[in-house]
Amino acid sequence: MKKIGVITVIFLWVALTAFAWFAPSKDMSQSERRPLKQFPEISVEDVLKGSFMEKFEGYALDQFPLRDNFRTLKSLFSYKLLGKIDNNGIYIADGYAAKLEYPLNAASVNNALKKFDYIYTTYLQNTDCKIYSVVIPDKGYYLAPPKGYPTMDYSQLFNQMAKGMPWAKQVDITGSLSVTDYYRTDTHWRQEKLLDTANILCDAMGIFRPEGYTPTLVSQEFRGVYYGQAALPMGEEEIYVMENPALADCRVYNYETGKYCSIYDLEKLSGNDPYDVYLSGAQALLRIENPNAKTERELVIFRDSFGSALAPLLLQDYKTVTLVDIRYVSSQLLSNFLTFQNQDVLFAYSTLILNNSATLK
Amino acid sequence: MVFSSIPFLYYFLPAVILCYFLSPKKRKNTVLLLFSLVFYAWGEPKYVILMVATILSFYLCGLAIGKSEKYKRFFLILSVVIGVGLLGIFKYADFFISGFSAATGISMPLLRLALPVGISFYTFQSLSYTIDVYRGNVPAQRNLVTFGAYVTLFPQLIAGPIVRYVDVARELESRSHSWDGVSEGVRRFLVGLGKKILIADQFALLIQNFRQAQEPSVLFYWMYAIGFMLNIYFDFSGYSDMAIGLGRIFGFHFVENFNYPYISRSVTEFWRRWHMSLGSWFRDYVYIPMGGNRVNKLRWTVNIFTVWMFTGLWHGAAWNFVLWGLMFGVLLMIEKILPFLQKLPAALRHIYVLLAVCISFVLFNAESIAQAGDDLTAMFGFDGLPAVTGETLYYLRSFAVLFVLSVLGATPFVKKAANWLLPTRAGTVLEPLGLIALLLLCTGYLVDGSFSPFLYFRF
Repeated sequence: MKKIGVITVIFLWVALTAFAWFAPSKDMSQSERRPLKQFPEISVEDVLKGSFMEKFEGYALDQFPLRDNFRTLKSLFSYKLLGKIDNNGIYIADGYAAKLEYPLNAASVNNALKKFDYIYTTYLQNTDCKIYSVVIPDKGYYLAPPKGYPTMDYSQLFNQMAKGMPWAKQVDITGSLSVTDYYRTDTHWRQEKLLDTANILCDAMGIFRPEGYTPTLVSQEFRGVYYGQAALPMGEEEIYVMENPALADCRVYNYETGKYCSIYDLEKLSGNDPYDVYLSGAQALLRIENPNAKTERELVIFRDSFGSALAPLLLQDYKTVTLVDIRYVSSQLLSNFLTFQNQDVLFAYSTLILNNSATLK
Repeated sequence: MVFSSIPFLYYFLPAVILCYFLSPKKRKNTVLLLFSLVFYAWGEPKYVILMVATILSFYLCGLAIGKSEKYKRFFLILSVVIGVGLLGIFKYADFFISGFSAATGISMPLLRLALPVGISFYTFQSLSYTIDVYRGNVPAQRNLVTFGAYVTLFPQLIAGPIVRYVDVARELESRSHSWDGVSEGVRRFLVGLGKKILIADQFALLIQNFRQAQEPSVLFYWMYAIGFMLNIYFDFSGYSDMAIGLGRIFGFHFVENFNYPYISRSVTEFWRRWHMSLGSWFRDYVYIPMGGNRVNKLRWTVNIFTVWMFTGLWHGAAWNFVLWGLMFGVLLMIEKILPFLQKLPAALRHIYVLLAVCISFVLFNAESIAQAGDDLTAMFGFDGLPAVTGETLYYLRSFAVLFVLSVLGATPFVKKAANWLLPTRAGTVLEPLGLIALLLLCTGYLVDGSFSPFLYFRF
C-alpha cells in the first residue's frame, strides 16, 4: 500500500509534467482578465543576462495546466483549513468580496491632489465654472469596519481631499450607499442602486433629480475582478442598466476614435470586463450629447471607472456631459480638446484610485 | 533556481530524473554534474565560471596534497587561501572596506559584487575536502567529473546541508538505487516542500505585513519575532528535507541538518539541533584545530568567541550577524561556567532557550543593529506603543491556526503521531492521500503567486 501511495504521487507528478510540457498554450486568463505569458524567445544574450530564465518562470506559472483549479484549491485551503481571513489581499464577508485597501497612502492622495490642482489652476481658476468634488467610497468603507478588517483611515482621506481642494464644493455621498449597492464580486457599484447618490449630487449641483429611470436586466453571468483575484467559488451576478426614454436619443462621442457610440455598449457584456457596458469602459475622453436636455448647461466630469455608471444618471439637465479620465489622457493636453468657460465641473474619484494614484497623468 | 518553483518541480527535476535513470552507471555523475551546472546557471549564469574555477582549484589542490607529502601543507594552505579568498572577495570585501573607511575616515570605493548563490556552502564543502585529504581521512579524488559532481551536486548546492566529501566519497564512486530509496526521497522531499511553501512562506507574508503595519503594537512585534522564528526554521529545515530527499532519490545519504531545535533546554543543546552540518563543520575544522577546550581558560575563551564570530559572519557580512554569533558565544560560555543552570526546572530552561533564540533572530533578521535595537525596544514595551491594535488582532486571527499548527510541527509531536498512525490501516490510506495533498497544495500555492523568497540564498 505504501508503494501504491508513492506510485500514485509519482504518476500524478508525471501527468502534470506532461501537460505542462506538451499542452498548447492559452492566450488569456478569463478569471484574471489578463493575457497569459507565452514561451519566451531564446537568445544567447537573454540566457546570459538571465532574462530568459525570468521570462520562462512567468510562462511556466501562467501556462500551468488546470491553473484556475489550482488557484481555487489554494484559496480554499488557505481560507477553510488555515483559517486565513484574506487571500491575496481579498476577503469575503457576508458574501461580498473586497480588497484590503490599507493603509492610507497619504502621498498618493497628495499626488492626486496635485494633478487636480494643476487642472484647476490651468483650466478653471479664471472661469465661471462651478466646481464640485465627490469622493466615492470603496466597498471596504462599509464592509470592513464592522467585520474587523483593517481599512485605510477614511476620515483622514476625506479631510485631506477637502483641504486639498478648497476651490471645490465637497459633496458627501457616503450616507447614500451601503455594501449592497456594490457588486459582490467586483470593485464597482451597481448603477441601479445609485439613484439616492445621484439625488444628493443633483441637489448639490442645483439640477433636477433623475426621473423616469427603470432598471433593465442585461446580464446574469457577471463575475467581477475580485472573483478572479480571490480564486474562490462565487456565484454569478446580474447587471442592470438604468434606461430612460431620453437616453435613447443621446449620442456618445469618443474623442479617441472620432466615432459615436451608445451610452450602454451591450457588446461589452461578452468581453473581458462586462462592467464596460457602461460608456464602453475605460475611455480617455467622451462627450455625451443630450438633445432632450432641459437646460443649456454643460457638465464636465473628471472621473475613474465608477463615473461610467454614474454619468448617465446626471445628464437629464445637461446639453453635454464630458467625461475625462486622466489615467488615459494627460491633463496637460486637455486644452486641445476642451474649453472651460462656465460649465459645471465634477471631480468624482474613488478611494481606490486616490490611494493608488500613480496612474493619474 | 529554487526547489519551490514550478520550473524546478515540473521541468528541471523530471528532466534530470529521466536522464539520470536512463544513463549507464558510469555516466550518472556526468549527468548530475551537467544538470547541476544548469541548475546553478539558471539563477547565476555568469558565476558558473567561478564555480568551475573553484572545482578546478580544489581538484588540483586535492591531487597535489594526496601526491606530494613534502608540499601537501603548502597546497592545503593554498586551497584555504583560495576558499577564504573567494569568500573574502565576493562576500566580505564591502563589509571590511566600509568598516575600514568608517574606522579610519579614509574613503574607499566598494566593490559592489553580487553575492554568488550558495558560495558559503560550496566553499565550505570544498574546504572540507582538501582538509580531509590532508589529514588522510580520505584519498584525493582523481576523477574530475566525480569531484565536480560533489561540489555542484544540485540537491545541496545552494542551501546545504554542508555535505563533507568524506561522508559521500563512497557513494560518489558507487551507489545503489532502489525503489525504497526513491520512495523515501519523494516522501521527504514533499514534506520539505510543504514546510517551505505552506508554512515558511506564509510567515514571510506575515513579516511583510508587519513591516508595513499602519498600527504597530507590542503584540505585533512579538508576533513578528515568533513568526520569524518559525519562518526561518521551516524555511531552512524544509530546504534541508528537500535536499536530503533528493539525495535519496539519487542514491545519496546526506547528513541530517535539524533535529527539533526548539525543544532544546539549553543553548548548547539548541546548537546540537540547529544547522547541525554547519556546527559540526566549525567544530571539526576550526574549533578543534585551535585547541578546542583542551587549552587554558583564556585560550579556550578566545577559541569559543572566534568560532562564534565566524559562525555569525558565515551567515552574513554585517555587524548584526557578528553580534548574533557572539551572543551565542556568550550564552554558551555562561552555560559552561554556571553548570547549576542545568538543574533549573525543565520548563524554565525551555523558556530561557526560546526567549534567547527569539531575541537572537530579531537581531539576525534586522537590516541593521539600529533596527534590531528598535525592534527589541518595541517588543519589551519601551517604545510607547499600544499593547494591541485592531490591525494586530486582524493578523492574529488570520494567522492563529498557522501559529498553532507550526508550533506543533516544530516539535516531535507530528512525527510521533505519524509513526503511530502510519503502520495502521488508516495510515496506509492517509499517507498517500497526504502526499498527494502536499503535491497539489504546494503546486496551487506556487501557481497562485510567486511569493516564495528563500532566506538562505544570501548565505
